[in-house]
Amino acid sequence: MTLQILINGILKGGLYGLMALGMSLIWGVMNIINIAHGAFIMIGAYITFLLFNFTGIDPFVSLIFSSSIMFLIGYTIQRGIINLVIRAEIFITLILAFGIEIFINNAALMIFSADVRKVKVSYGASNFNMFGVTIPYVRLIAFLLAIAITIILFFFMTRTKSGRAIRATSQDLDGAVLSGVRVSRIYAITFGIGTALAGAAGTLWAIIFPLSPTMGGSLTLKSFVVTIIGGLGTMLGPVIGGLTLGIVESFGTNWFGTTFESLISFSILVIILIFRPKGILGKGKE
Amino acid sequence: MKKNLLLISILILFSLSPFLTSNNFLIRFLTDILIFSILASSWNIIGGYTGYASFGNVVFFGIGAYSTSILMSNTGLGFFVSMILGGIIAALFALLMGLPILRLKGHYFAIATLGVAEAIKALVQNLNITEGNSGIYLPPPEMSVDGIYTFFFYVTLIVLALLLFLTSIIFKNKFGYNLKAIRENEDSANSMGINTTIYKSAAFSLSGFFSGLAGGIYAFQQGFIKPEPVFNVLITIKMIVMSVFGGLGSLFGPLIGAFTIETISEFLSSYFLVAHTLFLGIVIILMILFAPKGMLDIFINIRKKGLSYFRKNIEEHRV
Amino acid sequence: MEKDPVILSAKGLTKKFGGLTAVNNISFELKRGEILGLIGPNGSGKTTLVNLLAGNLRSAGGEIYFNGISIKGLPPYRIGRIGVARTFQIVKPFPGMTVLENIAVGAMNGRSGKKRTIKKAFSIAEEVLEFTGLSNDSGSLAENLSVASRKKLEMAKTLAMDPEVIFFDEVMAGLNHKEIDRSTEIIQKIRERGISVLMIEHVMRAIRSITDRIFVLHHGNKIAEGTPEQVLNDSEVIKAYLGKRYEQLIK
Repeated sequence: MTLQILINGILKGGLYGLMALGMSLIWGVMNIINIAHGAFIMIGAYITFLLFNFTGIDPFVSLIFSSSIMFLIGYTIQRGIINLVIRAEIFITLILAFGIEIFINNAALMIFSADVRKVKVSYGASNFNMFGVTIPYVRLIAFLLAIAITIILFFFMTRTKSGRAIRATSQDLDGAVLSGVRVSRIYAITFGIGTALAGAAGTLWAIIFPLSPTMGGSLTLKSFVVTIIGGLGTMLGPVIGGLTLGIVESFGTNWFGTTFESLISFSILVIILIFRPKGILGKGKE
Repeated sequence: MKKNLLLISILILFSLSPFLTSNNFLIRFLTDILIFSILASSWNIIGGYTGYASFGNVVFFGIGAYSTSILMSNTGLGFFVSMILGGIIAALFALLMGLPILRLKGHYFAIATLGVAEAIKALVQNLNITEGNSGIYLPPPEMSVDGIYTFFFYVTLIVLALLLFLTSIIFKNKFGYNLKAIRENEDSANSMGINTTIYKSAAFSLSGFFSGLAGGIYAFQQGFIKPEPVFNVLITIKMIVMSVFGGLGSLFGPLIGAFTIETISEFLSSYFLVAHTLFLGIVIILMILFAPKGMLDIFINIRKKGLSYFRKNIEEHRV
Repeated sequence: MEKDPVILSAKGLTKKFGGLTAVNNISFELKRGEILGLIGPNGSGKTTLVNLLAGNLRSAGGEIYFNGISIKGLPPYRIGRIGVARTFQIVKPFPGMTVLENIAVGAMNGRSGKKRTIKKAFSIAEEVLEFTGLSNDSGSLAENLSVASRKKLEMAKTLAMDPEVIFFDEVMAGLNHKEIDRSTEIIQKIRERGISVLMIEHVMRAIRSITDRIFVLHHGNKIAEGTPEQVLNDSEVIKAYLGKRYEQLIK
């Protein structure tokens, strides 16, 4: 039983890690907390849902579509809106992101209504047994894909020219400008990648869990929790943070009941912020 | 001086409105503006004057609302006593939460306050004393229907007047100067002999106290409260947007913001039943893009600079 | 009772950052009414030392005494209140407040803040404004000041705190000759008010003309101490810090 709870937590934690990866990237590179992150995850989930229902495209295949559409949306939002106030005081960008979130959520409510939907794939219920632990195939595949995407991002950031430019910009803005990096473009690409990751997380979410237009709010907050646990500035941070949250949540809801799920994650958030504001992996205190 | 005179006469006219109209709907709408004026002015104390942008101030509103409701329905205490106790409980909570969290800065402070607000909401949803998600009924006020509207209007007005009076005194005195100094440069303030922890906590508690009173009034006015609406993060967002829109760190700014934003919201919701929140999102986006320094700043500068004011604003903050 | 001639002293002060020893076993005494110079190349630990003395950095080895009382480990605001004021090398004005308000905050707090009404604090701020030659900038926002005025404001803020000791951390850096002379004059007058001064400075002209004594830090160690004449002619100091450039400076 304990092993089952642990495995459930790990499988969900991988997805949490992917969810937070985009948020942590955007936060780390341009010092913006993207409150609308959960709303982007929601859009990704609905893209998958629509593609599956109307064209029958397999949700795993729609990863490609959801992430590329979300990249374009993110790139445009950064270029056209966020970039205009990026140097203003931090709560200005926060409020702006809230405005975007409110807009997206309510647009989705009007288009899709508040109904809860589900992507019903034929293989959704199949699973296998190992050491007395039941593992649904979709959860395992989603977990592996989440890890794979994280690894791909790692290689992108370390091995490609754009990736290096993003890292340089986040470490030393003035230096990057001096060496000819076009910051507004780099920021837009970063934001695009961040939202693309949100889109991918949305797709994987839609395969496993039900979706609704208002699902974004709690996912944004969970992404915060994961980002804060893992700390900024590393690729491993979101993975560790995601697994931690997944496991703690899994055991916590088992002990206290599922209604305590959000209380558990917010308590972790506040406790970590108080005692280790730079995350478990981060060095020292704020 | 002329400007203040104008403002004061507007306020007096406003305060007489229950005698000028018998339209209860209008009085109720004006009361809502007053409640948001209290909330925005309270936010302004910690966010505007002290420079700590709290994204969780709704927690004080919610705690005030719940404390008042529980006291009134379980102990039989009267409304005023319950409301004031609710404010005090909210202030104590602010103090308690402020001590660890006010050490954080910028984004970390914002996220921590947001996290506390969500955690308390989740807790209220799970506790027996708050009756979880089913909510709490309050005893109804024993008055005539018209009397109720006038009653709430004046209770809210008095609380707001008290808040503004206190704020105006504070910010002419050492307490206010020290808070501004903390906002402008905390290290320097500290080295000059200001116990920053105490000052920040006091500002946060004051903010919490008045938000709590607003929550108490709201609860009694509604007669029934649930966790989701009274701990809704959108209320915090509105407080901030109103403060920014009216002009941060000014006495009457939040009032102007509350009046404008609530009027726009009301207009939108009467014309677009479903889409009004969507439009509110657009209003927030446009406001941040074009008026990040507030409306007063626009009025002052647009005469001098014309439309290039907006371009300059954007040039200043883009990359 | 005779007052102790030493107002502030450090004994064996040591601060490490990771493996690096920024300040190593430093002892010194600041006498009443004295101007003590602190010099040394960049990165030699001067600002770290001031941060330790003023409470901005903590958890160090050694002891700090002010008027015979240990003040090590006290938070900055307590140190500010007992009569020790400091400026910051990278100036820290309150940018959105007027120059007068900046100074008045010092007068409301610091050593005598509790005794002063708000009106009194502002009248003291006016005096300090006059004293430091900032009268013309009284109503402007601190963020709009020139570099020279910002440095002066930094001094004015500390002065309004009615301190017994002030640490000046490079208040003359970036100023022209005329402004340096003006600031030198101000520091001289501050001493005449009975305030003891510890000043970090690279401007040798000023150091030479107003300090009573100097001590020199190098890699966190005190390598020399004495009158300006002795120290500035000390061969080790010249070798460690001033090098060839010093000879040019003298000429």
